[in-house]
Amino acid sequence: MRPTGAALGREKMNCAEFQRDLPFIIDEGGNAEQEQHLKECKVCADLVNDLRFIAEQAKLLVPMKDPSAKVWDGIQDSLEREGLVKPRQSKRGLLGFQS
Amino acid sequence: MPRKSLVIQEKPEKKTTTPEAEASKETSTPKKRTLATAKKILATGITEAEAIERAKTGDGEAFEVLYGLHKRRVYSLCLRMTGNTAEAEDLTQEAFLQLYRKIATFRGESAFSTWLHRLAVNVVLMHLRKKGLPEVSLQETLEPSEEDGPKKDIGARDNVLAGSIDRVNLERAIESLPPGYRIIFVLHDIEGYEHNEIAEMMGCSIGNSKSQLHKARMKLRDLLKTSKIDRAGKY
Repeated sequence: MRPTGAALGREKMNCAEFQRDLPFIIDEGGNAEQEQHLKECKVCADLVNDLRFIAEQAKLLVPMKDPSAKVWDGIQDSLEREGLVKPRQSKRGLLGFQS
Repeated sequence: MPRKSLVIQEKPEKKTTTPEAEASKETSTPKKRTLATAKKILATGITEAEAIERAKTGDGEAFEVLYGLHKRRVYSLCLRMTGNTAEAEDLTQEAFLQLYRKIATFRGESAFSTWLHRLAVNVVLMHLRKKGLPEVSLQETLEPSEEDGPKKDIGARDNVLAGSIDRVNLERAIESLPPGYRIIFVLHDIEGYEHNEIAEMMGCSIGNSKSQLHKARMKLRDLLKTSKIDRAGKY
């Protein structure tokens, strides 16, 4: 990582430095200097809050849609063509149900 | 750092469920024979583990049960990664065909759903490579661009998402991400893969994976804020 403000002799880390390091610390936590900047800078704190909130909401997304019936039809057709299942006598599922 | 209270507009369902709970959620209609069959078989006391063992011997009924139990999650993964319904259905079909061919090699070292999920991810990534899509930009920007500059949000009112994002807007925003960003975001934040796993799958570095994920989240933040402003303007 590039030297920070403190390492370069400046007093405090600035937003550019913090946001440059952010991809690598947002999920694991930062060092003391980064955490200090987060406490003191509302803009960066709001940014981090938003990004973490998005990540948390993404975890809550559950699968909502089923594929159409033709997907299963396609699977059966392919398995028959490959000789992995016996051909259907009529357009029926493997259990004998119509698709 | 204080966390804002979250206002979730839809009650989230649990991500992981038992096969029995999964099957019982769905209503039986004339066309949903597969699910009705799954319920019937599960109702007789056959577990998913037994269905797996039977499917390994070529039992078509057992394979149909496994399809019914896992099709939604596999399809959802394919749809989120590709953003295209037709492609997602083709890839779902391919994933289950590969499952049928490879199920005999499943040893139970991981959960079946994890194993199947990884298989589906590989099917999607293979498809994207064939299409020549830039899955991940392998050229890291060494100098920060204007887009990467520090966010100052000076003078902006309402700088935060205020703890309120509804599922529909979030899904829409994810769909509109550039493909490379979307894939990393889906794999990490939705599907729960770690950066070292993503790096291995995508053939990139861990640092690159983290960087792309960050850009994806930043882009989503912008999209969701714009959406929020648009909605506020209507009222």
